[in-house]
Amino acid sequence: MSRVLLRLERVGKDYPPTVQARGRVRAFWQVLLSGRSRGGKRVLEDINLEVRAGESMGIIGANGAGKSTLLKIITGVLQPSTGTMAQQGTRAALLELGAGFNPEYSGLDNLRMNAAFLGMSQRQVDQRLDDIISFADIGQAINEPVKHYSSGMVVRLGFAVIASVKPDLLITDEVLAVGDESFQKKCIRWIEQYLAEGGTLLMVSHSMYQVQKLCHQAMWLENGRAREMGDVFDVTQAYLAWHERLDAERSHVDQGNAGAYYGVDEIRIEQADDDDGPPLIPMGGRLVVTMRLRSPDGRRPVAAVGLVRADGTPVYGVTTDFDDYHPGQGPEGQYLARVVFDDLSLLPGGYAVRGHALDPEGLRLHDTAELDFTVTGRSRELGLVRLQHRWEPVEPDECEK
Amino acid sequence: MDAFRHNLALFRQLLRREIRSRFIGSATGWIWLIVTPLLLLAVYGFVFGVIFQARAPADMAVPFIAWLAVALWPWLAFSEGVLKGSQAILQNSALISKVSLPRALLVISSVSSVFFLHLIGYLVILIAVQLLAADIAWHALPNLTLTLFSLYLLALGLGLMFAAVQVYLRDLEHFLPTFFMLWFFLTPILYAPEILPGDLGRYLAFNPMTWWMEEIRQGVLLGQWWPGTVQILLLVASLVVLWLGLRLFDRLSPHFEDFL
Repeated sequence: MSRVLLRLERVGKDYPPTVQARGRVRAFWQVLLSGRSRGGKRVLEDINLEVRAGESMGIIGANGAGKSTLLKIITGVLQPSTGTMAQQGTRAALLELGAGFNPEYSGLDNLRMNAAFLGMSQRQVDQRLDDIISFADIGQAINEPVKHYSSGMVVRLGFAVIASVKPDLLITDEVLAVGDESFQKKCIRWIEQYLAEGGTLLMVSHSMYQVQKLCHQAMWLENGRAREMGDVFDVTQAYLAWHERLDAERSHVDQGNAGAYYGVDEIRIEQADDDDGPPLIPMGGRLVVTMRLRSPDGRRPVAAVGLVRADGTPVYGVTTDFDDYHPGQGPEGQYLARVVFDDLSLLPGGYAVRGHALDPEGLRLHDTAELDFTVTGRSRELGLVRLQHRWEPVEPDECEK
Repeated sequence: MDAFRHNLALFRQLLRREIRSRFIGSATGWIWLIVTPLLLLAVYGFVFGVIFQARAPADMAVPFIAWLAVALWPWLAFSEGVLKGSQAILQNSALISKVSLPRALLVISSVSSVFFLHLIGYLVILIAVQLLAADIAWHALPNLTLTLFSLYLLALGLGLMFAAVQVYLRDLEHFLPTFFMLWFFLTPILYAPEILPGDLGRYLAFNPMTWWMEEIRQGVLLGQWWPGTVQILLLVASLVVLWLGLRLFDRLSPHFEDFL
């Protein structure tokens, strides 16, 4: 087993009350007399974590789950309220957008300052200066104050310094999202090589793709607690599944709150034969579409029908309220609508009919159902529909005008 | 050892940045380092020497302007050093919440940069005094340095204390400048103790800064070149204050980020 770089045991964090003056004064005396403050808002609880040299761990979780707080504790910026953290001979570097940069100073000044934070001596910086500048690749902007930089340039500079230090433990907080495509590739290549050479990575990201690409393990934080920890694929997939369920629940709740939810329960194309395949309509024949609409509040929804080509190109659409048609009432609060296209002028090919349910005002689309059908026939005409047309003879003397 | 070297490199970098930040954006930068003290001395000399007719104590037998100048600069360095040092943590809050570094270094480099700049101004002033007003006892310079050094340690200690407390109790920010102005006028810098009515002058002895100013004037103007008992005591006292400041800072600093 490789050596343990970082060990967190039952680490928790409370943010003390700091808004009100009385809270601050009390916290001041607590810290002064007992060395710790009590009470406040709990943001992390009972985190156990062990990072060994050569490991790579992604930390994932929803906004406000405590990811950045955890990173701050690990980098030593924040003191945990409970539990212990032990670091062993570790040079940890945090890479975060603009961390440690002073916007008033030039890129070069900030570069030197950041290098000093990471433990480089002046001589070491001088030796590696050209490498760092060429890695950052921001050109003459290096002499400009950082406040004029784009966020991508700031990250480039920060990454370039860290790349030259090669820390034992690299901690990144959502940085790769900032740089442009080519710089992201460069960073990911660098991190991959760094990991291959035995580097250790802790990474916070919302991109499951990057986490899966760079990390072997993952920790899923939820409301300040570690909900799941282990192999990166297991954890990220569980996390994504949780998000999908959350989305589904949310959208369901939305509809419930809206009170009325109009839907298309069934869409059907009438056809003579009882084939199971997509309905076949001869060109110039008759297309009959019947819809059964759901209306939980008993009001009459507006129905819409659209014809699209198989690739989704819209051909024609119409709603019941354009034509002043009122869907008839069926059993159990359902409404029935039927539209008939006599002499269907679609050219042969694959099409779909889409049925939509709108609210009674015809303003909001609530539901869509789709059914494929095929128009058969023999025609060499081009396009989607046959337009009414005729050819006319042309008199020769018209050309001479 | 490694950590010490790292901190030293960091300190140098911070100090350089502090000093440079004074001159960023000004075209002639270093010129002002020399011109400002001279202008300031001219203003003080005119207002107090000419308008208010202030005089140096009779037993010193030096022109008022020389008497004022040698004490004014150490005070400026001290008060500005403590005030700037006490701001150092709040001003670098963005840095502190992102980067793990020995936070005391921010205060120390801030105080040091002020002392460094004022020391250069002090040298300019001493040369000007030598040329225009009175003889400076240059051979007492090492002794003067010792007194200034103990003043620097005192500023460090107070700066660390105030900086740490100020993170928790912001009120200090409003209180300190006024307090230092009062302290300035309660110290015989602009006036000789004798001009105070009644035995008010005797109470000045309770103000430690009186002792420092006395020692500095003794050294520069009267040429006392061997450290006396008072100087040793002042050094010990400032070391105690520094130790207290460091203790307090160490106690409070781990929780800074919660309160910034």
